Amino acid sequence: MYILEADFERLIRVLSEARSRATELAASIGARLGTEHRLAKLASVASLKIEGMLLEVRTSATGRADSSGGLAELHGALQTEMQPANPTPANPSENMPTGVHAMAAIATQAGLEPEHWLPMFVNDLFSQLGTSGGITFEVAERLLQQRKDDFLRDFLIARRMYRTYPRLFPEIQGEAGPAERQTISQ
Amino acid sequence: MTIDARELNEFTRKATDLMSETSDVPRILRNQLGENHQLAQAAEEMLGSIENFVRELRCFDISGQNIGNDPFGGS
Repeated sequence: MYILEADFERLIRVLSEARSRATELAASIGARLGTEHRLAKLASVASLKIEGMLLEVRTSATGRADSSGGLAELHGALQTEMQPANPTPANPSENMPTGVHAMAAIATQAGLEPEHWLPMFVNDLFSQLGTSGGITFEVAERLLQQRKDDFLRDFLIARRMYRTYPRLFPEIQGEAGPAERQTISQ
Repeated sequence: MTIDARELNEFTRKATDLMSETSDVPRILRNQLGENHQLAQAAEEMLGSIENFVRELRCFDISGQNIGNDPFGGS
């Protein structure tokens, strides 16, 4: 028994969106009730289960694509053909800056830190383009979703660190208002 | 920290949407891979955890909230 290609795509799309929503929901509930609250923990568990499921489905889809190269290539070619025309050269990696350089250049031009999500996302797009020789709207959406999820995860970790170890963030403590400082000092 | 009825309704609505959007996942995997396949079982677990979360949200008693439970809450 096997899963149809279209079903794989559908499952990945559904799970990717669900993961994003669950992560946001867990963050919102954690912010309102505290991360140790039962509801926040249940939300986190649901979010982790969805993420695990997404990883498993992606792994299965990748394994299947590897083992049936001919069909995967045809499918990839079809997807590329369905995208709007672009001036990409035959070998897109030839005239493309390397990932780190591209990211640094984009960040500098936009006045952003290299760790900002936008240059990293653009770098993801370049990497994908260099690897597969093409890019689809679906892949771009998925990469953006991954960046958004990474950002939310980092945000939750940073907030937990800030609340648990406020002395590690003296510069932020200095910027916080009186009420916030009082909370932090607890 | 506490939560009011409007926020709880909003969280419950979003969680219920999440549950209905993912409810097809176990069925698709079960139909195509069989109910004993690891992916199908993982999908059942995932949906179970979402259902459990939604059930708890629906049963959550706003009036029974322990105010001041979170030392960083400030409310």
